[in-house]
Amino acid sequence: MATLRSSSRILGSSAVRTAALRPGAVFARSMATVGETPVEQQPRLKTFQLYRWNPDTPSEKPRMQSYTLDLNKTGPMVLDALVRIKNELDPTVTFRRSCREGICGSCAMNINGQNTLACLCRIPTESAAEVKVYPLPHTYVVKDLVPDLTHFYKQYKSIKPYLQRDTPSPDGKEYRQSKEDRKKLDGLYECILCACCSTSCPSYWWNAEEYLGPAILLQSYRWLVDSRDERKGERKNNLENSMSLYRCHTILNCTRACPKGLNPGKAIAEIKKQMALGS
Amino acid sequence: MASIKESKVEVRLRQLSSPSKAVAIASQPLSRPSMLTGPLFLPVNDPAPVPEPNAAHGSYHWTFERLLAAGLVPLTIAPFASGSLNPAMDAVLCSAVLLHSHMGFQQCIVDYVPKKKYPGLRKTTWWMLNAATVLVGVGLYEFETNDVGVTEAIKRVWKA
Amino acid sequence: MIAQRVGVGALRRAATKPSIYFNQSIPKLALASISTSHVRYAVPSRPAPPGRPRRGRDSNKSAPSSPDSPITTTKLSPSEGDQILANQRLQRPISPHLAIYKMEQTWFGASAWTRITGITLSGTAYLYFGSYLVAPLLGLHLESASVAAAFTGLPFLVKGGIKFALGFPFAFHFINGIKHLVYDLGKGFAKPSIRRGEIALWVSSILSGLYLAFGL
Repeated sequence: MATLRSSSRILGSSAVRTAALRPGAVFARSMATVGETPVEQQPRLKTFQLYRWNPDTPSEKPRMQSYTLDLNKTGPMVLDALVRIKNELDPTVTFRRSCREGICGSCAMNINGQNTLACLCRIPTESAAEVKVYPLPHTYVVKDLVPDLTHFYKQYKSIKPYLQRDTPSPDGKEYRQSKEDRKKLDGLYECILCACCSTSCPSYWWNAEEYLGPAILLQSYRWLVDSRDERKGERKNNLENSMSLYRCHTILNCTRACPKGLNPGKAIAEIKKQMALGS
Repeated sequence: MASIKESKVEVRLRQLSSPSKAVAIASQPLSRPSMLTGPLFLPVNDPAPVPEPNAAHGSYHWTFERLLAAGLVPLTIAPFASGSLNPAMDAVLCSAVLLHSHMGFQQCIVDYVPKKKYPGLRKTTWWMLNAATVLVGVGLYEFETNDVGVTEAIKRVWKA
Repeated sequence: MIAQRVGVGALRRAATKPSIYFNQSIPKLALASISTSHVRYAVPSRPAPPGRPRRGRDSNKSAPSSPDSPITTTKLSPSEGDQILANQRLQRPISPHLAIYKMEQTWFGASAWTRITGITLSGTAYLYFGSYLVAPLLGLHLESASVAAAFTGLPFLVKGGIKFALGFPFAFHFINGIKHLVYDLGKGFAKPSIRRGEIALWVSSILSGLYLAFGL
């Protein structure tokens, strides 16, 4: 309720007043900035180093740019800090974001050496160290923190991520599934394809072109264990080569990286087991 | 397809001077793999190509590797634990280790020398590895027949 | 948060048509500046970006831009669009990876060290048995007896060091090899057990390496 009250106050007065004074900053006021606190607090400064690269000046090398924020006026998550940097310090900072609650996967990036979602990653407050933010590792950078995920999506498309059936359902209505079979999809269907795991995998760094990577293989397994799917043989056949699946060496960076707490490493192990046993 | 044919609207951000200091970081080499411009990449909305299935390079290969590795566990412990000298066991251990090493090196080449990026280098390293393994195989045979055998030799050097 | 979205929406609506929220006396000027604020970053004539072809633009009809619209549009065929995209991609840098990723997951990852230790062991074996084969041609003595004899003459610490340099890789490769075989059975993937397993692996392999080097 606190948010509701404070924002309606903004709506009623301050936003409009700000708009009249600073026309450019109308939409600058957002969730990333905590409303003015009545008591003056000691500022808690935190420096963020962001990876910058501008496609308009492609010959310029990528660089790190630092921005300092007062954490008292910033929300708790790294995404809040980024939004505030963009709104108040430098509107040219570019990053993807949408839902700010870990369900869209847009704000996947490398924060302090770990791939995660900026919206689910708290700004570390225990140390005074700078927060370093990079785009997802070993991806082609579109601009600043925005990686090019085209090939990732093309690979996703290549595993045919949809139910494939040759026979109609027995009752002519819907494809039914037992509770046990449905349970097998838990831990798989929650994947939001943020690419945190795939871009944390050294194997995917070196062989992204041919190796499918943990995220796509987890999805592959999601359709391989679906009791309703009838093209399992074809799906497995598509993995029967040295590159698509078997570049996985159980490094497990994927499992460590997943911001949704899923286990791509285990899913890949299960695929390998199924492929070996032919079941 | 209709969406592609629609006119593209490009909106450019006005360049604003950055307010804070900038630190240059080590440059990343700009590589130009085929993925960017080649047939693999365009058109953007097509799925990535799926390779021809070949179980010998896929599941059979993987299963063989695991069985070999699992077999090596007792094979390596046995001669040192029992303390007995058995030339046949020694020969089996040597060939298993040689095969395990060869397959391990192959995995490294597949990982670090991508076929698409460096086709020539890939072929070179691959055949160099094959030649090395044959050479080492012959060397092992010579050692087994003319010397004391691998396990015994390791024991002697270790206790020296 | 929803309230804020409503707020922005209301603000937008207010910008075009004053609603009940804003029926007081808001200067027209402010409203006008609100309504134009979202296009203030668009520049009227787009400068030619470097490295992009302008070929074929004349053959296509440019969409007429109305005097009050600062955005120009250009009709492009799909292949021309692809070409622009391909050219853009050639300019793109690869984001940093090994240099910035968490060290314990890259440089000190158990899987990577299984490979490093494996290469150490197999590389040593390949070197020794390869040279054993050609040694007689070069007049070298690499028979086990002469190697053992040469090894005996070394000081204790050097002997231990060499033994550790082979004993630790063996222990690590052996222990983590078994761990990976367990992974391949689909077991041991829970996050706490991964972490505990990693610590156990390093401790046990270093201790076994030390035992192999100095205890035997």
